[in-house]
Formats: sequence, structure tokens, C-alpha cells
Amino acid sequence: MEYIVKNGIVYDPINRINGEKKDIMFRDGKIVTDVSSDAKEIDVTDKVVMPAGVDPHAHIAGPKLCVGRMYRPEDERKGVVAKTNVTRAETGFSIPSCPATGYRYSRMGYGTVVEPAVPPLEAKHTHEEIISIPNIDVPTLPLFGNNWFVLEYAKQDNIEDLAAFISKWLKVTKGYGVKLVNPCGSEAWGWGMNVHGIDDPAPYFDVTAREVIRALAQANEMLGLPHSIHVHPNDLGHPGNYPTTINTLDCVKDIAKNSKVRDQTIHCTHMQYHSYDGTNWRDFHSAAEKIADFVNKNDYVTIDVGQVTLDETTTMTADGPMEYDLHTLNGLKWANKDIELETASGLVPFIYSRKNPVHSTQWAIGLELFLLIDDPWQVSLSTDNPNAGPFIRYPRIISWLMSNKKRMDMIENQYVHKAVEKKSSLATIDREFDLYDIAIVTRAGASKVYGFEDRGQLGVGANADIAVYDINPNVDDPSNNPDLVEKAFGNALYTIKDGEILVKDGEVVKVKPSHTLWTNVVGFEDKEQRVFEENIMPKFTQYYTVKFENYIVHDQYLPYPTEYKVYASK
Amino acid sequence: LKEITFVPKKFSKIALEFDEVIPDEIFNWNKSDIEKFKVPVGNSRFPISNYFDVKVEGAAEGPEEVKMVFEGDMGRLKYIGCGMSAGQITVNGDVDLQAGAEMKGGSLTINGNAESYAGREMKGGALTINGNVREYCGATYIGDWRGVSGGVITINGNAGKQLGECLSGGEIYANGNVDILCGIHMTKGFIQIEGDVTQWPGGQMKNGDILIKGKLGSLLEGFEFEGIYTDPEVDGKEFTGNYIKYIGDIGVDGKGRLWLNAEKNRDLL
Repeated sequence: MEYIVKNGIVYDPINRINGEKKDIMFRDGKIVTDVSSDAKEIDVTDKVVMPAGVDPHAHIAGPKLCVGRMYRPEDERKGVVAKTNVTRAETGFSIPSCPATGYRYSRMGYGTVVEPAVPPLEAKHTHEEIISIPNIDVPTLPLFGNNWFVLEYAKQDNIEDLAAFISKWLKVTKGYGVKLVNPCGSEAWGWGMNVHGIDDPAPYFDVTAREVIRALAQANEMLGLPHSIHVHPNDLGHPGNYPTTINTLDCVKDIAKNSKVRDQTIHCTHMQYHSYDGTNWRDFHSAAEKIADFVNKNDYVTIDVGQVTLDETTTMTADGPMEYDLHTLNGLKWANKDIELETASGLVPFIYSRKNPVHSTQWAIGLELFLLIDDPWQVSLSTDNPNAGPFIRYPRIISWLMSNKKRMDMIENQYVHKAVEKKSSLATIDREFDLYDIAIVTRAGASKVYGFEDRGQLGVGANADIAVYDINPNVDDPSNNPDLVEKAFGNALYTIKDGEILVKDGEVVKVKPSHTLWTNVVGFEDKEQRVFEENIMPKFTQYYTVKFENYIVHDQYLPYPTEYKVYASK
Repeated sequence: LKEITFVPKKFSKIALEFDEVIPDEIFNWNKSDIEKFKVPVGNSRFPISNYFDVKVEGAAEGPEEVKMVFEGDMGRLKYIGCGMSAGQITVNGDVDLQAGAEMKGGSLTINGNAESYAGREMKGGALTINGNVREYCGATYIGDWRGVSGGVITINGNAGKQLGECLSGGEIYANGNVDILCGIHMTKGFIQIEGDVTQWPGGQMKNGDILIKGKLGSLLEGFEFEGIYTDPEVDGKEFTGNYIKYIGDIGVDGKGRLWLNAEKNRDLL
């Protein structure tokens, strides 16, 4: 099938197209240079055309989501939408049902969403859940930062065996890259403890976060994975945690990049939660300037923001001790999950109130990070869904980024707490993102961070993943019309995925199965086999409660796989 | 005043849902609008006229001028008066689940027994049940920690388990006996019980008052004896007689007050 998307105004940062009026053509799901006269025409005259969105970090599938849905029925009853001829019924606000997740991303013009925290033991379940999420492709990041095998290899500084383990475990879990969550801290939680800073060793293993981060970064580069290590640093959400964050970024400075498809060697996620100064919640204030300054001076770093949206939401993370701290802070119901040799997660509902000085300051810190980091390629838009807010708020965040007037309205009319002016510099920043910047932070940048070459862009040969929004850049002024921006980015005129029209005028008109993206490392098989037989299996048999045969993610869990082959050390 | 009367003509084994048929929605509907309106029955919708003969007398400018009367057994009619903010509803028979849930105002009187979740998450108005009520009367939605925040619930029969769960305001008067865990997780508000209570009132309560005039079966360990008061004033109301006052639930550092009639509960002294 051939199509031509006619007369749109195209923003495609990877191909340096900034608001040019041009046609986009595709055939059989791929972008092409020309089509025959039989091509179907989609007239989008003077509307914004971008590659479909790429979300770098959103918890959308896996055991945490299931626990969240089970223990928050009061969230499930929000956002109920009846079934249509095309879609199934939707439920949920911060933890929507699986189909609703797919539809809602589709309506915003998104095509790819990374699930960034999969305990390998629960990878099977995560992939089962991805099967139930339509319309978006999902890569998953298995958790390695508190894995017993990793802690031991890091302690021994045995990078080659660690690389072999990762290579094997990406095959076992059908994962895409390497995720660390509070390295050593979630292991310490198994002992009722946490670690503070990156040089505080985990109990028993006697290894520090610094050693684990460095070891995983080196192994990641030895394999040349398409994504760098993806780090949720220690001390999340603690006042005065910014030195830990900077130490985390700084500790991998000397590690050379071994990949042509990305620019960074470390991606630090939900940076808003890691940019706090002060010593307690009373003198808590923003350290966004210090973090932004570090990012500006170091091009090996990329971040996503984790923007607070001031909603009632559900926090969920593989940072078990942090969730317990949060529960003692807000007193709301707490769920805890222990994943044997791998990690520990927790959940707590959270109400981010615009009248609360701390929550309002968190809102400001996120926006400061966007606006103070000079190069938009280093910063991606996320809410750490659902931790800082549900992903359906992305259009609202875009409107905040594009309109200084909107931000100042919120500050000056005290829609947010007046602490914002004292505890952050947001009110002094008048930078506004244009549509090109927005295209970078919502799709092109994240695509580059993950080393995707087939998406996040509209170049020839790329997937025909296209979003069209109802904004006319020649007439509409996003700076003075934030409501229009929010409405347009929330209700795509068209969302096209692999050449199929899934959304028209903000309504889902077609549902297609999701692809699961995973990385297959080739050329490490001998080392993998040796490490697996000599070291992994004896411990696996001794400590895990499941058999390895039941642990491995078999092919039937990925009915639509997209495999990225990586030739190790090349 | 506009009086709308529903007389059953066909019994449905599958429950009908009436949350869209409340004074706020129907005050300006005529007889045929009401008869034509399709209510949820299981996973389908059918017109009200399949199940009821509808009589309409008088006219109304707003919901406060509406009086709805249900004649007969409404044991398979759910969500009666759910979300109403004004007007009157009277049911001369039993009702199914969720009667008066999320009420904001007006009055709902049930001259029969009510199923579970009556008066769930009420914000205002008056719910009167002249028979018995089952579990979770005046409770919150499952999973939520924010319960009834206003209004008055009066039960002239007995109440089931977890009466006033997560109560966050408002008043509940139970004139019969009450089953276990009334006022569990409550943070505010007032529960008065004339009859006996099986056991464990106020589990994990943070604040608010529970007053029991009858005999209590067993008290939770999280309540500490504070003293005996004669003719105490509780939640701004005066009571005659001697009452034992407990503070709890200390398991959650609660400051809730549990008042027990001293004569009926001598064994606790």
C-alpha cells in the first residue's frame, strides 16, 4: 500500500528538517522517496508533521503495574471509556488497563515506548502484558543494578564475564539494554537497609554503587549495546541528593563509548528526582542549575526529566527502600515486592498538590532542567510514568515548555505554591521551546539515546511511524496559545504506525499488535556458555526458587519480535 | 412539585442500574422520556417501560422540586439515588446495592432493607434506611482511603460489617445492632450505635468519635482506657449516663475516641 502525506510542515530533527513544507511518502510500512500515481493521498496542508513519538522511560508493563492495578481499584474506576467498534473498554488514570495504555499513547501520536524496569525473573510476565498493549512498540530494560551475579562480578572487577552474563541475560529475558535502579540500595533493602551515596557498600557483597555502575558501563561498552547504561541513581527524592547524582555521572567519565548509533555512555533517568539541594524538606530547594551545568559541560550524558504534573498518581519503582520512606512520609498504602536475587520494588499512591511547597518546587525543578540544559538532544521528555504523573499529561508539559506566559501565569497567580519563586529559578527563565525542540525532546532525542535507526525520524528507509498535529505553524502562536498546544498534542490528527493509520482526528480507528524490541549480541556465545555453565548455573540452581527452564522467556512470549543484532566489540 | 412514581410490572433477575435516573437528570423529562430511557441491565440497556409503569404528576423547575417514589420490591434495582444532589426519593420496599452512593444532597428514604454499599462516599444529604442494611454502609470505594465526607445516614434496623469504613466526615446513626469493624480506618466524623456491637469497633481509626449505647462483644487491643465520663458531650452532642472513653487506635498513632455505655459494658471495667 502506498501513501503520500501531502503539504504538511515537517519537523524531523534527525534529518535536520525544521518546519519545511514537504510531502512524506511511504510504501509497505517504510518511508520512500517516491510513490506511484496510485498512492493514497492524506491531505495535511499546513499541519505539523513529526515522526511518531518515542518515550524513553515509562512504566507500562510488568509486575509493578499489576500490583498497582490490584491494590488501587480506586484508580481503575477513573478514566473509564466504553468500548467502541475498534477499541476495548478503557479503565484507569495513573495505571490504565493494558489496551488503554496503547490507545492513549496512540492518540498522542506516540509509536514507541520503553518499559524501563523489568526484573529478569518477571520478564515472562512483562512480555505477556506487552502482548496485551496494542499500537506501540516496546523495548524492555532488564534490571541489573542489584543482581547478585552482577554484584559479584563488579566486586571482582571481572568485566568480561559480566559482559558475557549481560549478553546471555538479554537473550534469556529478551531485553534491550541495561537498567540500574538504586544500585546496591535495593539489595540492602533485603536486609532492611539502604545505601547513601555511591561509595556506601551493600551488606554482605561489600561492593559499592560506584563499582557496580562502572562495571556495568564497561561491560555495556564492551558489548557495544545500542543503548548506554540507564541509571536511576542512589538517594532518589532525598533533599541534598545532587552530589550523589553528579558523582554517579562523573564516575563513568573515562569510559570510552563503543557504539556508532548513540552519543552518550550514561543515561540518567527522571533527573528531577535527583536534583535536590538542602538538608531536609523545610530547606529543600532546587539544584537543577548545578545538574544542568554538569550536563552542559559533559556530552557523554543524557537525561530524561520525570516532570511532576501535579496529579494524584501512583509511584512505583524497583527502589524498595525509597518507597518505604515515601510511605512513612505520606502515610498512604504501601506495597512491597521482593524479587529474589534481583531487586526489590515498592508502590505508594501519591497526591502531588499544587498548593504544597515541595510538590510545586518539584514541578519547577523538572521545567528548570528542560530549560537550563542548552542542548535539547541531551534531555528527553518523561514523567517517569506513572511516578511523577501519568503519560497522558505529556501534551500539557509540552504547552508549559512552549509558553513562558503560561508558566508565569501559574507562578504569578499562585496556581502553584509561592515557594517556586524562592526555591527555584524557574520564574527567571524565559526560554521557550519551538516545535523543532519539541520534536527533539519527544522523539528524535530519545530515538538517538536508544540507538534506534529505524524510528524517531522520517528519512528514507525508516519505519512509517508518523504523527500529524492540528497546529498551523504559520498562523498559530504556541507561546500565546498553550491550550491549543495541549489539545493538539493530545489528539493527533493522524497517528501512522508501520504505514497503517491508527488514529484519525484524535480517535483510535485501528488496532495493531505491538512489536517487542530486543538486542541479540552476536559473537560472545563461547564466553556466554562458559560463564553460564561454570558460574551462573550452580548458583542459579542453589538460590532461585524457579528452574532455569521456567525462567527463560521462550519465543512464544514475543509473537512480534524486532531483533537488533549487535556484533560484540565491533 | 413533580411526583414520579415507578410501579414494577416485570421482575428482572439481572439487576437494573438507576444512577442515571435521579432528580438532577430527569426533573424536566416527561412521562414518555422516562419510559423510553434505556437503563443498564447487565451488559445491555433496555427501556424503563419494560419493567415499570411510570406515573408523572406536576412539574418541576429543578431537581429540588422532584419527588420519586418506587412502589414495591426493588431488590434488583442498583444505584438508586446515586450521585443525587437534590430532591426526594422514597422506596417502599427493599433495594439492591449502592443505594444513595455518592449522594451530594436531597433525601433518600428506604422503607425496607438495603443491600451493601448504601451511602458509599456520600458528600451530603440524608439517607434513611428503615430496615436492615448489609455490609459497607457509609463506606468508601474499595481501595480508597477517603470515605463519606458529609451528610447523615440513619439506619433504623441492624447494620452489617464495616459500617462507616474510612469515614472522613458526616454522621451515621444506627438504631439497631451493628456487626464487626464499624468505623474501621475512620479519620473524622461521628457514629452513634443504639444497639449491640459484635466486636472490634474503630480498627485503625485515626480520629473521630464512635459512641455505643449497647453491649460490645470485644474491644481491640489498640484502644487505651482514658476514663469514665458522666453526661459527656461528644461531637457537639450531649448524652446522659455514664460512658467509658477509650483512645485509639494506638497501632496507627490514632487519636480517635470510642465511647461505651458503662452500665452495659461493666465487664470491661
